[in-house]
Amino acid sequence: MSTRRLLLALAVAAVLIALSLLLGRFGAYLVRAVAIAGIGALSLNLLIGYCGQISFAQGALLGVGAYVAGNLGNAGADGVLALLGAGAATAAIGALIGLPALRLRGLYFAIATLAAQAILEYLFKMLEPFTGGVSGLVIRQPAFFGLPVASDQVSAAVSVLVLLITWLALTRLTRTNLGRAFLVVRESEVVAKGMGLDVARTKAWAFAISGFVAGVAGGLIGFAARLASPEAFTLDLSADYIAMIIVGGLGSWAGPLVGAAFVVLLPEAIQRVGEAFDIANLLSALRELAFGLLIILFLIFEPRGLSSLLPRLRWTQRRQTPGAATGFGERAGAAVATKGGERP
Amino acid sequence: MTLALQLAVAGLATGSVYALIALGIVLIYKCSGVVNFAQGAYAMLGAYASYVLLSAGLPAVLAVLASMGVMAGVGALTERLVLRPMLKAPVVAVMMVTLGLLICARAACLAVFGPDQIAFPPVFPEGAVSAGGIFVTYNYIAAGILAAVLSLGFLLFYARTPMGLMQRCAADNSRAALAIGIHVSNQVSAAWAMSAALAGLAGTLLATLNGLSLGLADIGMVAFPVVVVGGLSSLEGALVAGLVLGVLQSFTDGLLTPALEDVLRANTGIYSVGALQQVLPYALLVLMLLLRPQGLFGRRGAERI
Repeated sequence: MSTRRLLLALAVAAVLIALSLLLGRFGAYLVRAVAIAGIGALSLNLLIGYCGQISFAQGALLGVGAYVAGNLGNAGADGVLALLGAGAATAAIGALIGLPALRLRGLYFAIATLAAQAILEYLFKMLEPFTGGVSGLVIRQPAFFGLPVASDQVSAAVSVLVLLITWLALTRLTRTNLGRAFLVVRESEVVAKGMGLDVARTKAWAFAISGFVAGVAGGLIGFAARLASPEAFTLDLSADYIAMIIVGGLGSWAGPLVGAAFVVLLPEAIQRVGEAFDIANLLSALRELAFGLLIILFLIFEPRGLSSLLPRLRWTQRRQTPGAATGFGERAGAAVATKGGERP
Repeated sequence: MTLALQLAVAGLATGSVYALIALGIVLIYKCSGVVNFAQGAYAMLGAYASYVLLSAGLPAVLAVLASMGVMAGVGALTERLVLRPMLKAPVVAVMMVTLGLLICARAACLAVFGPDQIAFPPVFPEGAVSAGGIFVTYNYIAAGILAAVLSLGFLLFYARTPMGLMQRCAADNSRAALAIGIHVSNQVSAAWAMSAALAGLAGTLLATLNGLSLGLADIGMVAFPVVVVGGLSSLEGALVAGLVLGVLQSFTDGLLTPALEDVLRANTGIYSVGALQQVLPYALLVLMLLLRPQGLFGRRGAERI
């Protein structure tokens, strides 16, 4: 990360935070939703886009974060502490889910994460003292560093700040040896082994780091919704997050953010259109239909995602820097593709 | 003892429906390498199609056959329109596109039929038989037998007929199949059509047992554990694992859960273990993946570098 990029990122964050403080309530709600979804999508992107491990358990991991942060916050912990605790707990669970990945690959592992999602959903309902059971856990918004988060605008600013920290940390991570090891494991585990990399440990790190970030995002979801309930963290939520990184562009760092904005704002837009046309009773069906169709159409016609679309439209001849969004998107695709017909 | 027998019969009936859906997933996986999340959607669509045809006054046999025909068309169309353009796409993208199909199908049914459960018109005659102290409605008997017979028939078709042979060729090695003059892409379409038709029938049978609702689509998610336990590429495995899981679920619901809850109530503050039978397949799935990832009947493949 060059100083210039760091400064740029800081400037963008300062502007965004200032803007979110000036927004109306609805605007603040939207910014917060996009920022939190962005954090969750960055976490999943590390796992799927960078390390090549497909996971359908993101929804449940966000849930773990929400429950842990909620319980810590309700017990009187500071918001920062609650988020870090949620991150640590979710990192542990994420690493646990990743254990089968040490033996399984591609398709089989994806199905194993499906099982993890189902089992965690069941536990959310069962562990009543901790999760509040089927009716859910009511969460109080804790203070951050002792400062109360009084309004939606402030909580939006907090979310944007966390998003920025996550983004900086993860983009920095991909320039370390561990980050490069992720890429090698994604491209070929055999090659990684041949290079003397500890594949099992590399994967475990990917799951733990991704889990940590997911836990933080989940904690923020809990604080924002003031409630964590089992039906909020289902497979549908996992699908939302996978859709985000696909729509945005697999394996790039701008992609998850673009995708998060798209997936969060689309239902809102459809809601507005629907209200204008007075078809309120069809709205939920319409929203789902649009979401499903978009996933299908994107995957067929624009598999590299939105984040690769813009540069291609505007600067077709632009010099590609190593690690630029478009290049990664393509290679991420190719690498996961080779794992298609594989047996465990 | 009678309770156990009763549970076993009910379990076998639902288990054979699971098997029907799991067969479809395996068939699609073998032929096109796609793990199809939309199989549950096919079941749901098939059930709604039967409902519409039955409500229009068609005789039960015709209505069910016609809905299977409709579903075969839907299956072939999804393969042609959605999966064919994604032949070279990464595996996560293909899984996601089928998940997108599931979301679309559910939304379409929600828009047309609404979110409420609908009473399914009777397909089989009313009534029940009681033998040896157990009591089984015709519904369960008919659904179980029909599903079991169809599954077996399908296995025979796949193993014995010329078209089954062509299907196996296309699935095993598509280049070699092309070289000996098999129209591989037609075979793949046919596999999708058959899978969707089977799933449509399974959905209709399930609707006769439990009523018609959008929740029918969730059966696709139960079928995944069935498929993996049996072996992702084994049709026989899907059949056996479907029956086993059906019975296990039924026993868990009827025997294990009450027993567990008694123990828990006596010793702890917990009163309910919830829908234990719903997580059981996933627990088995994890166990199977850790102990024998290729499944009960699967073969271990060589790794290509």
